[in-house]
Formats: sequence, structure tokens, C-alpha cells
Amino acid sequence: MHALSARLKVQKGNFSLDVEVNFLKGITGIFGPSGSGKTTLMHLISGLENPDEGHIEIDDSLILDTSKNWNLKSRKRKIGYVFQEGRLFPHMTVQKNLLFGSVYADNDQQIIHFDEVVDLLEIRELLEKRPKSLSGGEKQRVAIGRALLSAPKLLLMDEPFSSLDVALRRQIIPYLIRINKKLGMPMLVVSHDLPDLLSLTQELFLLRNGSVEGHGNYFDLIQSEKSLDIMRGAGLMNVIPFKVELHDVENGLTHLINRDASHEIHVERELINDCCKVGDELNVSLRPEDIAITLNEISDISIRNQLKGKITKIIKKENRTYCLVDVGFLLIVSITQASQQKMNLDVGTEVYCLFKSMALQINL
Amino acid sequence: MNELLNFSEDELLAIGLSFRVAFWCAVFILPPSVFLSWCLARKQFRGKSIVEGFLNLPLVLPPVATGFILLLLLGTNGLIGKYLNEWFGIKLAFSFYAAVIASMVVSFPLAIRAIRLSIEMVDPGYEEAAKTLGANSLQTFIRVTLPLALPGIISGFVLAFARSLGEFGATIIFAGNISGETQTIPLALFNEIQVPGHETAAFRLLLVAVVFSFAAMSFSEILVKKLHHRK
Repeated sequence: MHALSARLKVQKGNFSLDVEVNFLKGITGIFGPSGSGKTTLMHLISGLENPDEGHIEIDDSLILDTSKNWNLKSRKRKIGYVFQEGRLFPHMTVQKNLLFGSVYADNDQQIIHFDEVVDLLEIRELLEKRPKSLSGGEKQRVAIGRALLSAPKLLLMDEPFSSLDVALRRQIIPYLIRINKKLGMPMLVVSHDLPDLLSLTQELFLLRNGSVEGHGNYFDLIQSEKSLDIMRGAGLMNVIPFKVELHDVENGLTHLINRDASHEIHVERELINDCCKVGDELNVSLRPEDIAITLNEISDISIRNQLKGKITKIIKKENRTYCLVDVGFLLIVSITQASQQKMNLDVGTEVYCLFKSMALQINL
Repeated sequence: MNELLNFSEDELLAIGLSFRVAFWCAVFILPPSVFLSWCLARKQFRGKSIVEGFLNLPLVLPPVATGFILLLLLGTNGLIGKYLNEWFGIKLAFSFYAAVIASMVVSFPLAIRAIRLSIEMVDPGYEEAAKTLGANSLQTFIRVTLPLALPGIISGFVLAFARSLGEFGATIIFAGNISGETQTIPLALFNEIQVPGHETAAFRLLLVAVVFSFAAMSFSEILVKKLHHRK
């Protein structure tokens, strides 16, 4: 069953949006460059804008059907909307902001209690403060809490990372994952920042010029040239799920092992900040530019991670060459065309992918 | 100096009356101007410019003309006044209520201007957020728009109050110049100036008018600054 299915058409001046989307439970990322229609799509789903033609169902209940003249108002759609800038009411304390929507929701519809939200988002010490005195990340957490307490069936998040400093950006991610795990609530997260989005989910919708250019798992998407082209400009990223195997305290390294235990990679322990126990699962991200390709294993080199694999696809874009290498899981590697020609790389070539432990980023 | 504070009974009557008229004018004007300001700030409808022009008319129309129009409409033999008199026995012209109504009409555009501006300065994004949280239009207005626009609304109230204190032309035509009933500060001042030798009395009223108008305008300015600051 789809958590949300929608068919929407709208014309706004020169811009037209025409999409058909089906979202599963869990977190779905909506990615597209600026002006691709992401926010319009969110507005149409939440009822802040009306389509020329459309049909929306959430959990199999009808929200909108223009052919039947059926259009539930925004306030009745039970969709939590976390706006880019938070939009906390400046004349209310954090506590009053959080409780704003709960008076309009029946008690038996509440999915989460006030205290649970406060603990989950770690905002207890903020309750008496005004939004003005909160940091960007705090505002965002309060906005998420406020949306959750209005008893939504679906949570929309518009660019949750963009109002935050680079250093704070990813701090919001564990909260979102926690909410999703705890409540099983479908979440749509809009972003024009691919690495940020990928650290949250690999289930993506690609939007360009008002239409859906691809949807599905990120690793399936990068194999299509058209999808790759859309994502390329935003910073491609390898996101790999791993499990903590052991902490090698003596050498300052943590050993991570991938899901089917076929490959082991090493990560410097300090990167993990002592936050993971053996057995914990985590996502590691790695930029395609930070991976080098060699034809043979190199023994006298400081780089610890050398994964053997086979090239499954080569995509040339301008002066870059993207190689998809199957090392037990897929890695996307970006090299120059000159290197590719010099090394005579082709589909089927056996290679080693090299990357420094430092190049790995841990997403919790 | 003593002479300047030695108010006569009539003068005290006029000052008291002025404040009563101004107060009721500002009170009655507030609900319709908040509603109309919200419509003008947030809604798009056909003929909006015509409505705006009509509402602003008293701002440029000579107050005497406004008073005359009121007399034609609400006077005992007026278009509406006739029926008010025949059916309900209500005679508005040349009464305390006439002074309040005359003040209301001339203050209306000022109040709307201040309140509309303050509502326009409320980010509609907050209203959108309230709607996604389940609030209907009225709830959104009361819980979000109104408190955020509050400094402007108080400023509108104060402006209407101040404008009413200074109202002369429409009042003298529609309400007359009846001591203790419709004779407000400007009308009393007008009387005193007419009479030779009453310069001190005129000066006393002048001082009162200047002090209170200045206080009201400063208060209104402070509120406008607060509104900008909040944003």
C-alpha cells in the first residue's frame, strides 16, 4: 500500500508541473535543482496551493479529486508541514508553539505525547523561550515537534538542512530517523542538497522542470544516465550501510563491515566519536572524487582501504568519467577521461578502489 | 500662569466631552476597521480599488462636506434618518451620537491605514503554518494575525482617538455646537476665538489640544517602531 499517491498538474505563468508520485512508508527524498517544482509539489500536497487538475490519496483516503470537485482544506488534510524557515510563531513561547495544533486534533488521533516529543527532540530546556532566541537547529526541532503534535498522517519537510550552518546540518538527521523509526510515519523530505539528503534516505524522487525524471533507490538511479545527469551537479555521493565490527583501540581504528560481510573497510576511530557500539549499523558516505582506481593492489601505501571489484558501467559526462564499480556493493567513482584512457578502463575491467579512512564520513 | 490653568466650567465640559466622543469613536471604529483592513490586506476581489477609494474619501473631502453628507443621510429628514425616526424614534443629528458618528467617519481612513499596514507586515507564512496545523481562518486570525498586528491595531485606535479630538467641520454641521452635548474642544475653541477678550480661554484650550494630540501621535509612533522592530 502506498502511504501517499498523487497525480498533480498545475500551470503557474511559465512554469508547469505535471507529476505522478507514489510514496511508500519510510523516508522519501525529493531532489531537484532550484526551480524544479519541489516546493510547489509540497504546497499542492499540503493544500496551500490548488492544482488545475489532480488526485491525492493518503493511506487510501481521498484528499483531493478535481474531477469530483473534492478538495479537503489544508487544515483537514492531517499533513504536518515543516517549513524551511521553521515559521515558529514569534509571539508565542516554544511550549505554546508546540501545542498550537494539538487543540484541533482529537485526543485519540494523537500519535505522540507532548513529553515524548520534547524528549525525542531534546527541547525541554527551550520550552519557556521565544523563537527569536533559538538557534537555527533548535528552531527546526521545535517546528518538527509542532508538526508532530498536530497528529499528522504524513510529514512534509521543505529543505530542512538549508537554514542550518554546515556544521549543524547533519545534526537534524538523527532526529528525523528517530521519528521515522518510532512513529513509522511517512516523511517526504525536499532538498537540493544531494549529500545531505542521501545521509537521510536512499529512496529518491528526482524532479526537473516540473516533472518526475526518475524515482527509486539511489543506486538504481545513478545507473541511468538521465538521472545521473540531474544529480551530478549537486554533488554525487556514495552512501554505504555498514555495521561496526570491532573497535581497535590500540591502532585508533574502528573496523566496519558491510551488510553481507563480504568486505571489511577500516575507519579511523576518532571519526566515530565513541558514539557507536559493536554491532551498531550506520551509513558511511564517500565522495566519488575521493576514490582512486588502480589495476593492482598496492602494498606499500598508507591508504588502508583497498576494495577489489569489477567495473559494471562507464558514463562519460563532459571531461569526467564516472565508473560504477561492483565491490560487493556499488561504488561510484569519478576519474578524469585521461586516466580512463591511460589505464584502458572498460566495463568488466577488474580494479581496486582506494580511499583514505579520513575521506569517510559517518552518518548516524 | 494661574490663568492658564484656571479652566471654566464650560471648558472642562468641552474637554470631558471631547474625550468621551474620542473614546467611543475609537472603540466603535476598531472592529469594522480591523475587518476591512484584513480584507484589503489579504483578499483579492473585484472592485477593490473602488472600495479603497471610497474608504479614503473622508481623508480628502472637506470635513464640512462630510458633515453635510451625514446630515443628508442621517438627519431627521435624511435618507436613512427619516426611517430611523419614524420606525424607532431615533434622532441622531445634533446629539452626542452625531458627534461620535462624525468623528468615526473622518477617522476611519486613518485607522484603516495603520491597521492594514500592520496586517500586511505579518508574514502570510505564519498563517499558512497555522492552517497546516489545523486552524481555520478565524482561529488563524485570532491566534496568529491579530496578536502579531497588535501594535498597529493599537496605533489605529490611538490615531482614531487623536483625529476625533481634532474633529471640527463634520461635527459642527452634523452635531451642531451645543455646550455639554456636542461642543468638543475645537468647537469651544472656535467659540472663544469669536468673542473679543476671550484670548486667554482660547489659549487654554489650544494648549490642551496641542498637549493631547502630541501625546497621542508620539504614542502611535512608538507603536509603529515596535511593529518594525518585531519584524
